Amino acid sequence: MKTMTKARLKSPWVLHFDCGSCNGCDIEILAALTPKFDVERFGIVNIGDPKHADVLLVTGPANKRNQRVLKNLFDQMPQPKAVIAIGECACSGAIFHNCPNTLGGVDNVIPVDVYVPGCAARPESIVDGVVLALQKLQKVSEGEKVD
Amino acid sequence: MIEDALIALTVVFPPLAGLLCYALTNKTARRLIVALTAVVLIGSSILLYIGGGFVYEPAPIFENVILVLDLALLVYFLYAGLKYKNWLVLGLSVLQLLPLIYFEFGLGGMVVEPMMVVSELSLVMGLIISVVGSLIVVYALSYMDEHEHHLHIEKSKQPRFFFFMLLLLGAMHGLVFSNSLYWVYFFWEVTTLCSYELIRHDGTEIAVKNALTALWMNLLGGVGFIAAIFLGYYFAGTLSIEALLNMGEAPIFLLLFATLAFAAFTKSAQFPFNKWLQGAMVAPTPVSALLHSSTMVNAGVYLILRIAPAFSGTALSFGTALVGAFTFMITAILALNERTSKGILAYSTIGNLGLIILCAGINTPLSYAAALTLLLFHSVSKGLLFLCAGVVENRVNTRLIEDWEGLLAKLPLTTVIMVIAMLSMFLPPFGMLLGKWAAIDAIVSAPTIGKIIMLIFVLIGSAATTVYYSKWLGHMLMLPQSGKGLGNEELPAPYVLSMFTLLSLSVVMGLGVALLINSVVLPAMPVGYISSIGVSVVNVTTGFGSFLTIPYWIGAAVIILVGVFIARSKGGVVKAPYESGENIADNPEAFRTTADTQVPIEVSGMFMENEFSESKVLTYGVIAGALIVFVMFFTVVL
Amino acid sequence: MVDLTNPYTYVPVVLVILAPVIGGLLMGIDRKLTARMQSRMGPPITQPFYDAIKLWGKEPFIASKIQPVLAFGYFGFSLAAFALLAFGQDILLLIFTMAIADLCLIVAAFNSKSTYSNLGARRELLGMMSYEPVLLLAAISISFVTGNFMVGGIFQFETPLLTILPLTFLAMIPVLVIDMKKSPFDVSASSHAHQELVRGIYTEFSGYTLAMVELGHWTRVALLLGFMSLFWAPNLIIGTALAFMLFFIVLVIDNSYPRLDWKTMVKTTWVVGFLLILANIVGLVARLVIFS
Repeated sequence: MKTMTKARLKSPWVLHFDCGSCNGCDIEILAALTPKFDVERFGIVNIGDPKHADVLLVTGPANKRNQRVLKNLFDQMPQPKAVIAIGECACSGAIFHNCPNTLGGVDNVIPVDVYVPGCAARPESIVDGVVLALQKLQKVSEGEKVD
Repeated sequence: MIEDALIALTVVFPPLAGLLCYALTNKTARRLIVALTAVVLIGSSILLYIGGGFVYEPAPIFENVILVLDLALLVYFLYAGLKYKNWLVLGLSVLQLLPLIYFEFGLGGMVVEPMMVVSELSLVMGLIISVVGSLIVVYALSYMDEHEHHLHIEKSKQPRFFFFMLLLLGAMHGLVFSNSLYWVYFFWEVTTLCSYELIRHDGTEIAVKNALTALWMNLLGGVGFIAAIFLGYYFAGTLSIEALLNMGEAPIFLLLFATLAFAAFTKSAQFPFNKWLQGAMVAPTPVSALLHSSTMVNAGVYLILRIAPAFSGTALSFGTALVGAFTFMITAILALNERTSKGILAYSTIGNLGLIILCAGINTPLSYAAALTLLLFHSVSKGLLFLCAGVVENRVNTRLIEDWEGLLAKLPLTTVIMVIAMLSMFLPPFGMLLGKWAAIDAIVSAPTIGKIIMLIFVLIGSAATTVYYSKWLGHMLMLPQSGKGLGNEELPAPYVLSMFTLLSLSVVMGLGVALLINSVVLPAMPVGYISSIGVSVVNVTTGFGSFLTIPYWIGAAVIILVGVFIARSKGGVVKAPYESGENIADNPEAFRTTADTQVPIEVSGMFMENEFSESKVLTYGVIAGALIVFVMFFTVVL
Repeated sequence: MVDLTNPYTYVPVVLVILAPVIGGLLMGIDRKLTARMQSRMGPPITQPFYDAIKLWGKEPFIASKIQPVLAFGYFGFSLAAFALLAFGQDILLLIFTMAIADLCLIVAAFNSKSTYSNLGARRELLGMMSYEPVLLLAAISISFVTGNFMVGGIFQFETPLLTILPLTFLAMIPVLVIDMKKSPFDVSASSHAHQELVRGIYTEFSGYTLAMVELGHWTRVALLLGFMSLFWAPNLIIGTALAFMLFFIVLVIDNSYPRLDWKTMVKTTWVVGFLLILANIVGLVARLVIFS
């Protein structure tokens, strides 16, 4: 495959944003960075700056307060990018679905590419999700239209 | 014959033109006179320079003229002291007046032959004074209009202003061309007069107060001169600088030179005599540019450079170098703390003069050449910086550098000129850095063991210099995110003429630094100072190192061009800064906070008041400076 | 003048071209070793190259029109400094060129009105203020020994510098720590994984500008370590091993210490640096006096 695509697959930088999660999924994400799972060997780095990031990991349900922030962070990420909604709350709102103060899943605010269900999502699922997101990045990189 | 004319044109013509400006209050007449003076001065200086050094005897009548003028001057200072009840000024004027009267009438004065010696060094100084000085006075034509408009002054004080500015140009030429200590002293005090009058030009309380401080500190230097004159009369039997330089190194002669060095320290605002220069920044900017950066304060440095060969290798030399080195370091640290533009430039001036004095004190051929190089480049760059600072100040109405944000968008032309001028002060391949580099080489190869401490001072000062200039650059180049393009800027003709000429001069001198060193610096060295500096097309070598000149310029240009090319080809969307996601869509310079309010993004400056508090450092600095000067005298007398 | 048939004249050119590559590999080795120290696997050694290539291909977001020029200036002038080293030129000029490079980065970071970027730039300035005098003093101490300031002069000097200037060698450790952006002195930005102020001075860079900044960083690391290898100049293989040993020491320090504040950085670098180098110089003078 072309160098640029290979480079993109080998170096996905992750921006982790907590939309209102109970932190269960956040802890699992950070666990993925620990030596036991060690995602850094895949080139994944937990970068805090959206301008540097490729993949946005979102946890927690979107709500009226943070939809703006979420959108802003998503906008500040340069293409090619992917969004992974981690945990039931980010996917669909889970038990907070239809609550008046939440907007349900994150996909009501920004386009989501990969859904990682679970409450809390397990580190292995999270890694699986990142691999799927990489496939999307590869397709984008090789010029295929992706919705 | 032609020499008479040229000397008259450079020394006498400017004050006469100034008197004409004072008499004719018409603005157009003033502009014409100033323009004419500029042309005459620059032309005469260049002609003089081409002609080379010579000895000159003015008509004997001038002896008496100068005596009368000198006494009148001192009486005027006395009057100023009385009027403002400033006992220091009063006391110091008396301390000069009484011995002078005794000298002229009691001892019968002294005839010096030759009265004027135009050396290569004087010619170089003359060039600086004429070119840089004239351009600054031209600049002042527009500046003073804007200045008086700002201050809502109804009856213009410009005639008086330009009289003193032009008087200064004439006096400086007289100073550098004179060979008699007495004449040098006279012109020296004339520059003190100009400084005093120009600092208090605006007439505000603080202006008068600072003018008086400047006056007494400079008068203190004048007392040093009187002491030197008496020492010369009683122990050397001559007041001719040329003769004094060959008198040998007996302690009494060293004492004479020490008093002259003391006078130079006061004029160049070295520690502990720095306060007056900082206070002088209340004056209108052309005053700061002309007197307090590129011309008058050079008088002190010139004096030290002139007498340095006489005390080479002595403790006095080391003491002088130490004063310079210490001043360089302390002012760099103080500038870190300074919030106003002119304050920073003032500290930078004192510091760089300190560096020149350090080189003069090291007293090896290499260091002397470094001193001359620094002098040349500093005058041009610093003058230009002050001019730009004045323009910005008039447009933006503030001197605080923190408030100079986004200047690139508001005043693109001035900002670009100012940025280049700043870069020319401390970055290669510009000439100032070459001078600093040569200075380091010179100190490293100096024969004294005390060079270690001087090196430490220079290195710390150099690091702090980079920091305070970069901070300022950062503030100026901070761009507003609102995406507005670069604004339009209108500059009146005098600004354009003076600033662009100085900028071109700075760049051309930097590009041709090898040529400059070969044809201007090396010929101006004193007899017997055979420097190890070599110049070639690609570099300047000192025997210890090689400073690439043309290859460096080419490399830098290539890097910038490639950078511009990449930026152009890749382009990019200008995005608002990262504010944790709380950016506001249509207001990139604010962020949203509690209760959905918008707060503007404010970035303040770093001034490190807790670590390098200005008042504390100043106090310790003045005490240390005084100690060094005292020890310097002490080692001479021993 | 220049002998084009002699293969040795091309060595500096090749070195200059390879400088970012060498630097990148060093960064990769850095991440691998750091990971191993933390009981992890770590990314492959070529990871930094993947990072840079990926960054180059991102959609370009810039903070202002002059930011990319300055970002390239950082890389370009670092490379120019490396070229000065490779071609045996003046060490002082080299250090001042490094200062220009750093300045480009700082002004580029000041360029956008971002709080994090500005704070990072101010701290980078303080870092520069800390290491520049020590680096200059080290160069001066070398000049005392070899008699001039040229890199070529070190090669002509027969004795390895490490045996004469061991303390100067040690004094370069804080300098290296600051410039490689490692703890405890990574106040302005951090090499991967420890973040401060979002990304500190790098916050507003993105895409290709960040790629150029990364390349510049690699070149600087290669430059400084190359300079360190001069301490055993007659035999550059041992010199390189020496530089690598220093690199490893910096990694160990990085993994043992947390980030400290800028005051500690300035104080420690100046005190340790100046004292060590001055002690070295005094020792040299004493040795001269005693043995003459």
